[in-house]
Amino acid sequence: MVRRILTLGGHDFTSRPPDRAVCEFLLRLASEHGGARPRICILPTASGDTSDLIASFYQAFGNRPCEPSDVSLFRLGRRPMALRDHLLSQDLIYVGGGSMVNLLAVWEAHDIAGILSLAWHRGIVLAGQSAGAMCWFEAGITKSSGKPLAAAGLGLLRGSLCVHYNNEPERRAAYLEAVGDGMPDGYGLDDHAGLLWEGEDSPSAVTARRGARAYRVSKREGEVVESPLPVRFLPAPAPAALREDIAEFRRIKTMRRHAGWLG
Amino acid sequence: MESGNPLLDDYVLGLCTAERPRVCFLPQASGDADHYIVRFYRAFAATRCEASHISLFRREQGPDDLRRHLLSQDLIYVGGGSVVSLLGVWKAHGIDAILREAWEAGVILCGLSAGSLCWFAEAVSGFHGAPKRLEGLGLLPFSNCVHYERKSDRRESYHRFLREGMRPGYAAEDGAALHFVGQELSRVVASRPEARGYRLDVSGQRVVEMRIATTYLGERGVVPEAALPEALSTALPAA
Repeated sequence: MVRRILTLGGHDFTSRPPDRAVCEFLLRLASEHGGARPRICILPTASGDTSDLIASFYQAFGNRPCEPSDVSLFRLGRRPMALRDHLLSQDLIYVGGGSMVNLLAVWEAHDIAGILSLAWHRGIVLAGQSAGAMCWFEAGITKSSGKPLAAAGLGLLRGSLCVHYNNEPERRAAYLEAVGDGMPDGYGLDDHAGLLWEGEDSPSAVTARRGARAYRVSKREGEVVESPLPVRFLPAPAPAALREDIAEFRRIKTMRRHAGWLG
Repeated sequence: MESGNPLLDDYVLGLCTAERPRVCFLPQASGDADHYIVRFYRAFAATRCEASHISLFRREQGPDDLRRHLLSQDLIYVGGGSVVSLLGVWKAHGIDAILREAWEAGVILCGLSAGSLCWFAEAVSGFHGAPKRLEGLGLLPFSNCVHYERKSDRRESYHRFLREGMRPGYAAEDGAALHFVGQELSRVVASRPEARGYRLDVSGQRVVEMRIATTYLGERGVVPEAALPEALSTALPAA
């Protein structure tokens, strides 16, 4: 069974093309495991299970050929579920961003790490962005305490990861310093760039936005070196057809703009 | 922070000696949910206290020095949610040790649901499946069960845990509050006339449940002075 993890440097679940391209790729990976109607579950733990994130996830996947679900580790049980069984019945488990420190602490408290590792060994695709990407590595750079600091991850993947690489210069600087100081070598990922791991070695880099890059970051003879990786571009699928009323609204808005009513 | 019922909030604010008490909300059990933080600021309005909150999910907001901030409070209020997640997050940020320090320094600690369970040595947590037995911070050397309504899963599980060796403790129905001074129960108060607190012990394989006389905070003119021994005399042993 191939063990797959998709680690993403950052994205949202909006309808903008790069975000749509990421969702399309997630859906494809899930289908490769689960067939025409794969089960995709979001673990929004790192954000404190914010309803905004959960809602945007359902908005992105609700009308696609899949069965989306979410697991909350904060909200009390109106909808209690057998966590282990639910997670192990998925085709893809997606981990949202937020606080990496809190994510790992809460997972530890609920014994989630062992379940995720088992899921991975069974071929269930693991994925995530930001904290939800760094958590799979030995270490990452988190802003869980405000300033960017090194934090330990689950260690399913060797090495380290820094997310939002060119989007948050202070995080990148902290990462370069940490690698210089002995943090294991690793990768830097811009928003909308990702690494697809099949097994534990030689990930392939993908990007859903022109200009977004993935870097190998390593210490060589005392110097920290960043080398850009070749990336495969993920095209955005055509947007879902607009509802007639929304299309009408936009037509009117465009007409008004042309007529100068809105300045 | 019961909706539409400020009696317990008034009671706990009344325990503070400061004229305008400093009150800090810890909403970690809910994942620092926005709507809950808003509810706190509405319940603990600026007109009667100096309210603040700490978010451990969005540390870029709020106070830098968590320890100093928490130790400078008169009252720390812990919200409900998942006690397992709460304790996990606190441990990761060293909040557990700070709260013990605050308690020893005389800061009043309070909370509902998960925010009650967390202070005890052992707790009954109902979350994703059957209620579970877990360890809390242990400031109070008892067990605790909340939402202790008749026919609730938690009540049944609590009794089983007690028979299996969980230490004796206290339970509270919704609307009832256990007020401890040091490690001693001082009184039980309630925001609903019918809500009660309970003491639970085990005798052999038998769980002994005693209902504690509870002061309803809603009646004007009632002096909340139900001393404990007397209260226990009204107790009902359970099956």
